[in-house]
Amino acid sequence: MLEMIPVIIFTAMLSQNFILVQFLGICPFLGVSKNTDSAFGMGMAVTVVMVITTLITYPIYNYILVPLGFEYMEIIVFIFVIASLVQIIEIILKKTSKSLYEAMGIYLPLITTNCAVLGVAELVLTSNLVHNLLDACVYGLFGGLGFTLAIVLMSGMREKLDSARVPKPLEGFPITMILACFMAMAFGMF
Amino acid sequence: MINFLADNAGKLDIVNVLIAVAIMLVIALVFGFLIMVVSKKFAVPVDEREEAVFGCLAGANCGGCGKAGCSAFSRSLVEGKANIDDCAVTDAESKKKIAEILGVDYSGGGEFIYVVSCGGGVNAKDKNDYLGENTCIRENMVAFGKKLCPDGCLGDGTCSSVCASNAITVVDGVAEIDRKICIKCGVCAKTCPKLLIQKIPADAVVFVKCSTRCRGKEVMDACSKGCIGCGICAKNCAQKAITMVDNLPVIDYEKCVGCGHCVNKCPRKVIHLVKENN
Repeated sequence: MLEMIPVIIFTAMLSQNFILVQFLGICPFLGVSKNTDSAFGMGMAVTVVMVITTLITYPIYNYILVPLGFEYMEIIVFIFVIASLVQIIEIILKKTSKSLYEAMGIYLPLITTNCAVLGVAELVLTSNLVHNLLDACVYGLFGGLGFTLAIVLMSGMREKLDSARVPKPLEGFPITMILACFMAMAFGMF
Repeated sequence: MINFLADNAGKLDIVNVLIAVAIMLVIALVFGFLIMVVSKKFAVPVDEREEAVFGCLAGANCGGCGKAGCSAFSRSLVEGKANIDDCAVTDAESKKKIAEILGVDYSGGGEFIYVVSCGGGVNAKDKNDYLGENTCIRENMVAFGKKLCPDGCLGDGTCSSVCASNAITVVDGVAEIDRKICIKCGVCAKTCPKLLIQKIPADAVVFVKCSTRCRGKEVMDACSKGCIGCGICAKNCAQKAITMVDNLPVIDYEKCVGCGHCVNKCPRKVIHLVKENN
């Protein structure tokens, strides 16, 4: 089923982009998109969490919960797994990259409640494109990259916006929302 | 066994509940162990002085020092990037302890209080209506606000909204600080666009409750509580503690003995006793 991989990539990254089409993970999208560096860091952190999450939740669901008939526990198990993973990544990041850790600040723990991460864990189970673990990981990876793409594009535009002449009532947050709206419309074309 | 479980799944009986608990328990144990291993392997050495300093701080998280919070402040203290007196909330005794932990000299920064140096509000006339957003900073952008006096309190209460301890209320159009609950963080003083909130020594007896630099006639037209810059207080001060700067008396608290003569002599009742303003 390797020929499905390009389809999965296209779907996860562009046509079903987590932020701009499915509206999952809006909080970091608006919160950490002030400058490109931290936006890229956030996107990468989410991507890593997404890949590892699918890598772990997909087998847990298919090899533990389904045979035992406990599918209804998926959400609580997934949340648990995601929370633990974020904790682990936070500890590792604190040691290895202090500046990235401080740049992300509160948003790193917030990945725990980032619905894009829980969203990917749920979507790989229901998507008719995903048939095995490899597919699921690819979906997670490119879902995360799509997230990064959206957040980095957004931060680039917000950096440009600083020097643009914006009507006074729209300064700051309102114009950001309008930007996000146009971006979502562009991604809706896929 | 798996078939048995699958057949019974979804039915509410104690076996299913126990299995659900067991699944969560196993996952919890696995991940708990994983987190333990990782946190051991990637432990970041924390300067123990940092925690000790943090323990001595008042923990108001007011942001008055300009840092993100008390933990960020204690880190910059240990790194030597901050001054102990940047924190106004912590009492002198705890500050001495912090100085001991850091191994620096601390002589004490002196106690002080904050007062609002404007008595205008409803006593001051408006020059126009203001219909914009109700924050002093925004209002000040539009021709320095609605008041005829360019230095008067706008009464929109931005100081009150930034106050971490809710010590500020706007009474009759002027901010008032309740000094019993004020933690002296100084955030309000930095926020006020008119710079009306002044830091004076805690043992001060009198203060000038006006900040206008306008001349006498303009003040007479604009506000019944404004200082007209007559200089009677300065002439009558036996200690020569009052000097007139920009039509305003400035009290030198080093020289002031607190006789209160200026309070009685002021024809506009602009100089107030500190204790009468709560």
